[in-house]
Amino acid sequence: MSGSAFEGLQVLIVEDNQHMRSLLRTLLNSVGIREIQEAGNGAAALDVLREKPCDLVLSDLAMKPMDGIDFTREIRQSPRSANPFMPIIMITGHTEKQRVEAARDAGVTEFLAKPITAQSLFSRIAQIVEYPRPFVRCDAYFGPDRRRKALDNYAGPWRRHDDFRDLHVQ
Amino acid sequence: MTREPQLIPPDAYPQMVSKSDAAKISRILRSNDALTRGARAIQEASQHLREGVRDYVRELEDAIGDHEITADKAHEIRGFAETVGLRATGRIANGLCRYFEEMRKFGAQPEAAVIALHVSAIVRAANAEDEASRMSDEVAKELAALVAHKLAGTKAGTPG
Repeated sequence: MSGSAFEGLQVLIVEDNQHMRSLLRTLLNSVGIREIQEAGNGAAALDVLREKPCDLVLSDLAMKPMDGIDFTREIRQSPRSANPFMPIIMITGHTEKQRVEAARDAGVTEFLAKPITAQSLFSRIAQIVEYPRPFVRCDAYFGPDRRRKALDNYAGPWRRHDDFRDLHVQ
Repeated sequence: MTREPQLIPPDAYPQMVSKSDAAKISRILRSNDALTRGARAIQEASQHLREGVRDYVRELEDAIGDHEITADKAHEIRGFAETVGLRATGRIANGLCRYFEEMRKFGAQPEAAVIALHVSAIVRAANAEDEASRMSDEVAKELAALVAHKLAGTKAGTPG
């Protein structure tokens, strides 16, 4: 069905539970994604990426010794990062606002709350492929644009050069 | 010196796939065929994957007394159980997670008895022959009612 479309696509699964890794691999295989690497935590994932870059990361949040947030920060900010723009889908059972915001501010591309279904995983990947987000670089942040919606009634804060240009146009 | 924020459009950095492949991949991933294949793959692996949930359940039992680890394991179970068809286990774990989260918000100490009841129910549900039995559903409902009662009591400043 889909072999040619996904040919060469390299995915890295970062997850401390081998059964969850197996579940994710099973789902990816089912649509023809075959080139999959695995790591048990963020530090091991960085080692894997030093050996072989990948196109997409599916990462758990809570892992030791390096969790998904620190791993994302390394990918986005480290001068040694192979690809600071790499799409990272954070998969987590921890949906508390504080954790979600911490992951967002580290530069995660998409969130996927557990329990995972085929639909939820595939739609997140499709979202990244269809609508790649602009990146923002400033003193305090580097990562995908965290403003997903252009709100008509957005009252600020206005922090970008483009914001002012848009305002002037209006 | 403060650096002016810079917006980098998608065309200015390397993409995961080419534009021509993106449309094709997206169509495949959103197709009914892909969803059916994915669901079937999970179904076929579910017996094996349920062992993963049971690993977490064993770790949950061992963690009793340490709220941080117990909450962590409950989150893992909540996230994994329903995917592999252990619906009641997932629901009970969800109730325990909610209890921990709300008590943290209130700055209150979780009650050992409430935790123990949930852990016991999770262990039974995860290992039951018919996990989705009416009994497990009833237990999940009763525990949810208990958590609601305890949280209301904590919020009101009474023991509950």
